[in-house]
Amino acid sequence: MVNIIHKLEENIIALLLVAMTLLVFFETILRFFFGTGLIWAEELTLHLSAWLVLFGASYGLRVGAHIGVDFLVKKLPDATQRIVTSIMLSMALVYCGLFIYGAWVYLSKMHQIDIPMEDIEIPLWIAHSILLIGFVLFAIRLLEIGYRVIKGEQTRLKIHDEAEESLHLKEELESTPLGGSAK
Amino acid sequence: PVTIKFSHVVAENTPKGQMANEFKRLVEANEKLKDKVVVEVYPNSQLFGDNKVLEAMLLGDVQIAAPSLSKFKKYTKQLQLFDLPFLFKDMAAAEKFQQGPEGQELLNAMKKKGLVGLGYLHNGMKQLSASNPLRVPADAAKQKFRIMSSDVLVEQFEAVKAVPVKKPFSEVFTLLQTKAIDGQENTWSNIYSKKFFEVQPYITESNHGLLDYMVVTSEEFWSGLDKDVQAELKTAMDKAIALGNKVAAEKAESDKKTIAESGRSEIIELSDEDRQKWVDIMKPVWKKFEKEVGAENIAAAQKAGE
Amino acid sequence: MTIAFLFILLFVLIFIGTPIAVALGLSSILTILFFSNDSLASIALKFFEAQSEHYTLLAIPFFILSSAFLSTGGVARRLIDFAIATVGHVKGGLAMASVLACMLFAAVSGSSPATVAAIGTIVIAGMVRAKYPESFAAGVITTSGTLGILIPPSIVMLVYAAATEVSAARMFEAGFIPGLMMGTLLMIVIYIVARIKGLPSLPFPGIKHLLKSGWVALGGMMLIFIVLGSIYGGIASPTEAASVAAVYAFIVSVYGYRDIGPLKNSPWRKDGESLAIATLRGIAQFPQAMGMSIFDKEVRKVIMDGAKVSIMLLFIIGNAMLFAHVLTTERIPHIIAEAITQWGLPVWGFLIIVNILLLAAGNFMEPSAILLIMAPILFPIATQMGIDPIHLGIIMVVNMEIGMLTPPVGLNLFVTSGITGRSMGWVIKSVLPWMLLMLFFLMLITYIPQISLFLPEYLDSLRQAGG
Ligand code: NA
Ligand code: NA
Repeated sequence: MVNIIHKLEENIIALLLVAMTLLVFFETILRFFFGTGLIWAEELTLHLSAWLVLFGASYGLRVGAHIGVDFLVKKLPDATQRIVTSIMLSMALVYCGLFIYGAWVYLSKMHQIDIPMEDIEIPLWIAHSILLIGFVLFAIRLLEIGYRVIKGEQTRLKIHDEAEESLHLKEELESTPLGGSAK
Repeated sequence: PVTIKFSHVVAENTPKGQMANEFKRLVEANEKLKDKVVVEVYPNSQLFGDNKVLEAMLLGDVQIAAPSLSKFKKYTKQLQLFDLPFLFKDMAAAEKFQQGPEGQELLNAMKKKGLVGLGYLHNGMKQLSASNPLRVPADAAKQKFRIMSSDVLVEQFEAVKAVPVKKPFSEVFTLLQTKAIDGQENTWSNIYSKKFFEVQPYITESNHGLLDYMVVTSEEFWSGLDKDVQAELKTAMDKAIALGNKVAAEKAESDKKTIAESGRSEIIELSDEDRQKWVDIMKPVWKKFEKEVGAENIAAAQKAGE
Repeated sequence: MTIAFLFILLFVLIFIGTPIAVALGLSSILTILFFSNDSLASIALKFFEAQSEHYTLLAIPFFILSSAFLSTGGVARRLIDFAIATVGHVKGGLAMASVLACMLFAAVSGSSPATVAAIGTIVIAGMVRAKYPESFAAGVITTSGTLGILIPPSIVMLVYAAATEVSAARMFEAGFIPGLMMGTLLMIVIYIVARIKGLPSLPFPGIKHLLKSGWVALGGMMLIFIVLGSIYGGIASPTEAASVAAVYAFIVSVYGYRDIGPLKNSPWRKDGESLAIATLRGIAQFPQAMGMSIFDKEVRKVIMDGAKVSIMLLFIIGNAMLFAHVLTTERIPHIIAEAITQWGLPVWGFLIIVNILLLAAGNFMEPSAILLIMAPILFPIATQMGIDPIHLGIIMVVNMEIGMLTPPVGLNLFVTSGITGRSMGWVIKSVLPWMLLMLFFLMLITYIPQISLFLPEYLDSLRQAGG
C-alpha cells in the first residue's frame, strides 16, 4: 500500500516536471516554426511549476532532498541529537501550521469572491489549492519523521548531500566501462 | 489611526510613483486627517505584483493599488472597454469619458467582487513598435506581437492577421532583441523606460489604444471609513491623480522626444489615409465585445471625442 | 531589534538542522507576525506569488534536467578522451587535460561537485598511474571542478538572476571569459610546475584520433551551442532555451549516446550490418526510443533526480523571497547602505568587505543558500555605489567557488575525499596552494570589472549594430 502511494507520488512529480518542460519547448517550436502562440501556456506552465514545488516539498522530506546544515548536529551524542531534532521538527510544524491557516483563509476568500484564473477558465481557488494541500502533506511527513525520532529509529533529519550524490557518478564510472554504446 | 498601504509596481519617480507619494503628502498635510490616517507607500512590487495585489486587497492587507485597466479581467468584463482599439481619439477624449457619467459609473463595475474604483490614472496612448516598418495594416500580417493578457488585444492583432504572443514582461526585452518576437504595443513612457526603443528600429505613432490605470480600494475598507474621512481622502486622491496625470502627459511628450533624438528607432507618422486603414480593419473588434462592455459605453466613449 | 530577531532566529534554526527553506520561511513569518500587521493569509498569498509569478525561474528546473541527462559517466569519459588528445602531449599535459576536461564538463553541467566526481574519478587515478604525485592530482581536480558554476550554464547564476532580477542571459555571457581565464590560469601554473618538477607528458595520439574524439564528444559539447544559439538565433528566451536544452540532452543521452534508456544495448551499427540498413534501423528507432522512455527505469530515475533538486531549490527560493520581502520592508539593505556611506568606504573597500563576508559564509553554507540570503542585501548597496550588478554577480560566483574548497562545508572537498579515499585533512592540504591561486583570481575579478563585463557589453554593441 505504502509502495503504491510512493509510486503514485513519484509519477505525479515526474509528470508535472515533464509536462512543464514540454509545454515551454513546444510553445517555442510553435512560435519559431509555425508562427503561432499559445496564449494560455504561460499561466499553465507557471502553475504546473507551483504544483511541482508545493506537492514535491513533502516528497523532498521523504527522500532527504532538502538542503540543510547538519555538521553541528552530527557531532552531538545520539540522545541529544534526538532532542535537538524534535525541537527542530516542532518548529517546522509551526511553520506548516501558520501556512495551513493562512492558505485556508486565503482560499476561502477566493472561493467566496469566485474569480477565475487569468487565461484559463478554472476557479482561482482550485488552481491555488495546492498551497493548502502541499503544506498538509509536508506536516504529515514531519509527523512521520517525528514518530521515528521518538521511537529512536532515526536521530536526525536526512538531508540532501550534493557531495554524496555526486559520488554516485564515481560508482557508475567504475562499474560500466565505456563500451559499444559510443560510435 | 487607520493605516492605508498603497502598493504599486513602479519606481517612485514615475507618474504613478509621484501620484502615490503626493497622496501620502496631502493626507499628512491635512489637519482633519491628522492622527486618523497613516499612508504607507510601497513602490517597486515590494508588497505584491499587479497580478496578486487585488487578492491581497480583498484579504485586507493592501488598501490602495493602481493596476492597469486590463488587469481587472478576472473581476469584470466591463472594463475591457478601455482596451478596444481606436475607441478614444486622444487623451482628452479619454479624460472626458472617464470624468463623464458612464466613466464614473464604471468605477463601480467591481463592487460585487469587493473592489471600488477611486479614479483613473493616465499612462497614455499606445504605439506600435516593431523590427519592420508598419505603415499599413498589411505590414503587420504574420508578425508576432507581445500582448498583455486581454481577449480584446488578441482580437485586435488577429484582425490585422498578426500573431499575438503572451510573454511575461521580464522576457520581452530579450525576445525583441533577438527578434524571436517582432513587435509590441506600448505607451511612449513604457517604450522608453523599458528600453524597448533600443531594440525596436521602428515605432509607428498609431495612438491606437489606451493604457490607463484604475486606482482601486477595497469596498469593505472604504465603506468602513467615517464619512468625513472618506470625503477628505477622496479629495486628496483626486488632487494626487490630477498631479499624476499632468506628470504622465509631460512624460509621454518628453520620452517621445528622447526616443526620437536617440536615433535608435525611426518614428513613423501615419498619414490620415493610412491611419484610416488601421481604424477600418480594427474597429470591427468592437462588435464582438459590445455585449460585455455595454453598447451605451462605447457610444459615450465615441461621443467624448467629437 | 527586528533585524536581530530575524537573523538570530534564522541562524538558530539553521544550526539545529532545519532545512534552509523552512528556516528562511519560518524566521520571516514570525518576524512579520511580531513586528508588522500583515495577515497570515497575505503571507500565504505572497508565497504562492513567489512560486507562480516568476517565469524566468523556470530555467532552473529545465537546466537541472538537462544537466541530469548529460551528467552521466559516459559523457564525462568522452570529454576526457578529447581533452587528453588535445593537450596530453604537452609537459604536465595530463594535468592540463584534466583542467580542460573540467572546463568542457562545466559547459554541460551546472554543478561543481558533479564536475569533480565525473572528471576526478577517471583522471586522478590516471595521473597517479602516470607518476604524478597524488596530492597534486587531487588539488588540481578539486579546484578546477569549481568551474562548474562559473562556466555557463550555471545553476548558481540562475539563482543570482532570480534573486536580483538581473538578466540570466547576461550573467551567462559574463561568466564565459572569467571561466576561460581561470582555466587558462590553472593550465599555465601547471605548465610552470611541470617544467620545474619534470612532470610527464603523453605521446601525441595523431590528428585523426584528435578529430575522432572531438566528434564523439561533440554530442555533449553541443549543449552550450544549442543554448547560446537558440538565444542569439532569435529562437528563444533564456527560459525557453533551457527547455530546449533539456529536450536536447534527453535525446542525446537516450538516442544519441545510448548510455541510458531503452536503446542501451542497441548499437548504432551492428557488426556486419550494411550502412543503409543501419540508417533505416536508426530512423525507426527514434519514435521507439521516445515512446519506450516513458516506462524506462533509468530515464525515470534521471527525471526524478532532476525533480528532486529542482523542487528543493525552487522551494528555498520561494521562502527566500519571503525573507527578502522582510528585508526590504524593514529597510535593512537601506540601513546597511547608510552605515557604509557614513564610513565613507570607497568602492574597493566595500568590495573587500563583500569578499570577506562571502568567504566567511562560504565556510559553512552552500552557494544557493548564501546567494539567496546575501544578494538582496548586497545588490541594492552595490547598485547605489555604481557597481555593475553583473560584475557583482560574477564576484559572488567566484566567492562561491572558493567556498566549495573551504572546510568545514566544502562540497568539492567532500567529493575528492570520497573518490580518493583520503582524509579531509589530506584533501585540504592538497588544495591549499591552488586556493592561493583562486584568491589571486578573485582579486583580478573583483578589481578588473572588464573581465566580466567585456563580453556582455560587446555582444550588446553587436546586437545594436546589427539593428
Ligand atoms: Na556550468
Ligand atoms: Na566552504
